[in-house]
Amino acid sequence: MMKKSYRPILLLLFAAFEILIISCAPEACLEETESLVKASLYDNTTKRLRSPDSLTLYGLNHETVKLYDRSRGVQPVLFPLDLSSDNCTFVIKIDSVIDTITFRYTSKPRLVSKECGYTFYFNLTDTPFYTRNAIDRIYTANRKITTYNEENLRIFY
Amino acid sequence: MRRTCVFFISLLLFFHSVSARAQDTIEFPLKIRIGMDVAGPAISYYNRDRLSLEGVLSLDRNEKMAYVLEGGYLKFNYSQYNYDYRTEGVFMRAGVNFNLLKPETSTGKYWAGVGLRYGLSLFSTEVPFFRKENYWGTYNSSLPGRTSAGHFIEVSPGVRTELFKNLSIGWSVRLRLLISGGGGRDLRPIHFPGFGNSGKITNAGINYYIVWEIPFKTKKVIRIPETEEEEEEETPVEGLPGNEVPQNAFPY
Repeated sequence: MMKKSYRPILLLLFAAFEILIISCAPEACLEETESLVKASLYDNTTKRLRSPDSLTLYGLNHETVKLYDRSRGVQPVLFPLDLSSDNCTFVIKIDSVIDTITFRYTSKPRLVSKECGYTFYFNLTDTPFYTRNAIDRIYTANRKITTYNEENLRIFY
Repeated sequence: MRRTCVFFISLLLFFHSVSARAQDTIEFPLKIRIGMDVAGPAISYYNRDRLSLEGVLSLDRNEKMAYVLEGGYLKFNYSQYNYDYRTEGVFMRAGVNFNLLKPETSTGKYWAGVGLRYGLSLFSTEVPFFRKENYWGTYNSSLPGRTSAGHFIEVSPGVRTELFKNLSIGWSVRLRLLISGGGGRDLRPIHFPGFGNSGKITNAGINYYIVWEIPFKTKKVIRIPETEEEEEEETPVEGLPGNEVPQNAFPY
């Protein structure tokens, strides 16, 4: 019969090996890696969240690649910022009425994880510039653009 | 009154001598140990992107505890599809080892126990290339070299045994908890010397040591006989008085 004094040592070594094996197992990239401007759409009359019947979004001079193409029920709208520049402009079509929104920002690199690598976080330096065809007002809720699911803008239309 | 005092003193001396006769003493050698890790160079032989060298110096305080100082060097390169990473630096760990073996089992030749360490690492990191893709296209960038300091604590259970006179081998599993990896919240290091993968707050590793031992002192350790409670507990047989044991209870 094993002496009682050896049992804690064996249990400790067994537990340590279990942790070693678990920590050595390769892992996949499961985290969110893209920092997007998250804009909620509000009805300007009722001041409540409302998705447009049709929404189209693309970058200026990138009309062939659309982020949303006459999409229904979009909430929130996600804007990817241009990494190679400190500003970018989007064309947004809400219920067939066209507007443009321009963002100005600074960026800084950030490690997501060993598995996912690096991304950029942004900081909006100005309130976005926008035309007022369908859009009535844009309120900036949070200037920091991260990978977290946090509301950055409120678009009243 | 005087006779009463003499009686009690005699009684005390008698029980003391009986109890002293019941104990036993063993000679326990206290040692200085100088060792090197062979797991790191072995891994480096197969993985050219990693060069790891590590040594250990320990001093026995008594039969149960030893002071430990470890130090090493790591050069590590890592690449995957969207970035390259390089780190190089030195580290030290200071702490204690506790021997969980009884002195009569250990006899200075065997060790099974647990170590506790504080670790400090000074290193440089560089990201020569990273790539990010999104709607607007592919963007390539790099992060220049920077120097950082990392701190961590470590629990290291392990075993060691004497292979030849004054030469031991042993291994220990390293369970590490990151205190700070340097680099702030945005650019914490992916991997740094002494800790390993710092993408996570906890990490584990293993060391395999060859140790040269230098005895410097012999300590007399009183061997306390095992009490009844430490032996295997016997379940009383139903129907028998508490102190009685059936004749066939011990077949050997």
